[in-house]
Amino acid sequence: MWRNKANNADPLWQFRAAASPQTVHKLGLAVLVVAGCASILHLADWWFRAEHVASLPLFLVLTFIFWWGIIRMVVLWISYLRISKPAPKPAPAHKSVAIFTTSSPGEPLSMFEKTLAACARINYPHTTYLLDDTRDPRFREVAEQHGAVWLELVGLPGAKAGKINAALQRTDEEFILVLDPDHIPFPNFLDEVLGFFDDEQVGFVQVSQAYYNQYRSFTARGAAEQTYGFYGPTQMGMNGLNCAVAIGANCTFRRKALESIGGHGTGLAEDLVTAIRIHAAGWKSVYNPVVVSRGLVPEDLGSFCKQQLKWARGVHEVLFAEVPRLWGRLSFWQRLSYLTVGTYYVSGATMLLFLLIPYLFFWGGLQPANMDFVEFVLNWLPVGVFGVLIYLYVQRWLCHPEEERGLHWRGMFLKFACWPVFFLGFVLSLWNGKIPYIPTAKLADGHFTWFAWPLLAHQFLFISTLLYVVVDRTYYTPEARLALSSADVWGMMAFAGIAFLMTSGGLFAAYQSSKLTPKEPWAAVPLPTAGHPASNQPLAA
Amino acid sequence: MKVLVYRTSAVLLVIVVGVLLSSLLLFAGERSKGPLEDLAATVTSDVARFEKQLVGGDQRNSRAASLRWFNQYRTHKALLNAPDTILVGAYDNNTAQSYEHIVALEESLQVKLPIMQLYTAWGSKKDQGFPMLRAQAIQDLGSIPMITWEPWLDDFDRKEFTTKQPANRVNEGGLKAIATGRYDAYIDKWAGAAKQFGAPFYLRFGHEMNDPYRYPWGPQNNDPADYIAAWRHVVSRFQKLGATNAVWIWSPHPAYHNYREFYPGHDYVDWIGVTTLNYGAVAPWSKWYSFDEIFGSSYAEFSQYGKPIIITEFGSLRVGGDRAGWFRQALTDVPVKYPAVKALVFYNNASDVTTTYKSLDWSFDADKKVLAAATQAMKTWRVQHSPIQRLLKEKLLVAAPRAGQPGLPRGGK
Repeated sequence: MWRNKANNADPLWQFRAAASPQTVHKLGLAVLVVAGCASILHLADWWFRAEHVASLPLFLVLTFIFWWGIIRMVVLWISYLRISKPAPKPAPAHKSVAIFTTSSPGEPLSMFEKTLAACARINYPHTTYLLDDTRDPRFREVAEQHGAVWLELVGLPGAKAGKINAALQRTDEEFILVLDPDHIPFPNFLDEVLGFFDDEQVGFVQVSQAYYNQYRSFTARGAAEQTYGFYGPTQMGMNGLNCAVAIGANCTFRRKALESIGGHGTGLAEDLVTAIRIHAAGWKSVYNPVVVSRGLVPEDLGSFCKQQLKWARGVHEVLFAEVPRLWGRLSFWQRLSYLTVGTYYVSGATMLLFLLIPYLFFWGGLQPANMDFVEFVLNWLPVGVFGVLIYLYVQRWLCHPEEERGLHWRGMFLKFACWPVFFLGFVLSLWNGKIPYIPTAKLADGHFTWFAWPLLAHQFLFISTLLYVVVDRTYYTPEARLALSSADVWGMMAFAGIAFLMTSGGLFAAYQSSKLTPKEPWAAVPLPTAGHPASNQPLAA
Repeated sequence: MKVLVYRTSAVLLVIVVGVLLSSLLLFAGERSKGPLEDLAATVTSDVARFEKQLVGGDQRNSRAASLRWFNQYRTHKALLNAPDTILVGAYDNNTAQSYEHIVALEESLQVKLPIMQLYTAWGSKKDQGFPMLRAQAIQDLGSIPMITWEPWLDDFDRKEFTTKQPANRVNEGGLKAIATGRYDAYIDKWAGAAKQFGAPFYLRFGHEMNDPYRYPWGPQNNDPADYIAAWRHVVSRFQKLGATNAVWIWSPHPAYHNYREFYPGHDYVDWIGVTTLNYGAVAPWSKWYSFDEIFGSSYAEFSQYGKPIIITEFGSLRVGGDRAGWFRQALTDVPVKYPAVKALVFYNNASDVTTTYKSLDWSFDADKKVLAAATQAMKTWRVQHSPIQRLLKEKLLVAAPRAGQPGLPRGGK
């Protein structure tokens, strides 16, 4: 059969699982983490010295933006020490399982054909429901054609979560898998999940989210790179601390758990709201680091930023509304984990301050710290070295290391370019502001996304500052000042140049996005057949 | 029990190996600090030089152009040591970012200041090497640097410069330690950088060595013979390394008449430096002295050495007398009564903390009376810039490459 051949050829469409943590590897990790923490203590001992303070308020700001990142890194390292993978458990027979997938107006029908066909091929007996509000009769046809139950749920508040809650009322299965419609599940999806519910305390089981269109663009590749670590070592560490979070897609819930919190959470971060409430209600969570479906990652910068803005705003909603309310019912690690997740997008504010430093110097004559550059490099370098070593070391626990390993520089460029988005999300959440309507560029309309404007403004600021400094030093700086101020000025310019370079990466992504030809990536995808782990599957040719 | 032992030892092992790894990197960082700092200093002065080349602008309007007459002095060591004029200079404490203060001072005095003086201490810290950037900046401005080089021994890295002396007593017998080579690594590195700088510069090493109340290299810690040995040792190291562009100023304190005991010898000294500061009535131990009283009493002896004399720190405080008169009289007398004086460096230090418990303000750049008196007095000087041709024939010392300097070989022929 052609399908088998195709599946064998394409490494993406095979079942993948992260390696089980072995004691010797965890000891090696612990050594690196101890070394990293020792280096950080040494750095702190050097950083916090009175002689480094040039202007106290500015030094405090600089300290905040610098140590913010370091502290988050340490929390991550410590969670890595608890990396764990749940022992595989066979799915018990005769459980009733529902798969919910939702369709909304404007979503392409052909994508549902693929997803529903793949759902039909899932081994474990189940019922697939299409939660539809398109008012398009073709969706019903496609659902029924693939043996799915069509539920028309029009005009409900709360978008996807609203439909899920309504569908919960009209169904009675014990377990509900919420599957995003762009995700094409593998036949063994439910076999990898249901066994963990043997433990009556388990409220939800999350699996990895993997993608199949990352090759389409710089943005897609970078966006995917940003998630590799999270769905590998990060969530595995959170699993060990019983604080794995639900991601909205690919999460299987116990109906009782959802009912105990009054249904699926709503809002911009409905997944995170649901997870924190289930945790607060005393349920356990399981994260199984396996690839049993692949979906789409945003291909153009506009869509990516829109998604990030939604999450940034939603995550802060959780931080300000859910975390304080549920604080008393969370474990220590759950509190730390939700605080860490909830403050991820604060980096929008710290990045803005970081970008401002050279311009405060050039236009305002302000210098935040009296630090010697060489001393800073020497004190910071061990932290940087162990940071990179740990980052690379934990990649042994990625779900698909052959595919996902690397320094993920595209992801770094993309994250850097998103600071205006994060910052907007952060600022909006301060007064609970609504996300403004931002038209997402339809693919290949030849225009830069709205989100790239702040990046362009930054580049403009850099270039005009550079011109100003060059003119000022060529014609207006007294020669008696020139040589002695040279190092400070050009050192600061080099610092600003880093941001210029990183921003150029974001602008490249925006440019490429504007030239991207639309394509339906699912059209070329063969239906996955790998029902067993690739390693022990005797695939007949 | 077995599990407990196993786990405890695993945890201990992890901590020990982790801390070891981290210390290893920190140790490597410590070891590479020196070379990295040297690299950073080189990059810093290279960037400054490169920028100067790029934005050097109109050479005709530069300060160096207005000091072109001085160029033939500063490029000929022989001429520099026997000038037919009085070279004027200044020290200003407010020059961390810029020499604009000195440029402003010379505009007020209506005279160019070819000498710019700076102070630097011995030690292992990064700003205690040869001050390449500053020397280069002064050179580019058309002046000559005068470096007062102070052998404080407290700041040396004790791992590199080992001694059995406790840290707080390292200055005792310090000059003997210098003479016997303990600090050769430092001296050689400094001399190497000075040679690389290339242009002649004044080097005033271990000044006021005969004052027992001031600096640690004074007679309270050392014998005069050790001072001479240390001086000769340092000069020899420079010569051995080819750093012959250093012009050596031996600079005793004129108030202590024991200075003869500290003279290192004709072959080791180029100039005699004399500090002439009038403290006025600022402290119980001081009173108002005229320039004659401070400088004149020793001039007869100083001039006998047959070396040109430089007044290395020239100034008067305000309290206790007529400051403008002091400047007028001194500057009028210098060329007439003291013909061996070939250079004079104004001490425009607004914050001198070396002598009294409170900071002393020697600056006169805002004192209109003093400026007028000094300007007027210097106008009477009959200085001419027509150097002796015989001296000019001696070997030209090629200055460090500067932007737009004509006449440098261009490769090829």
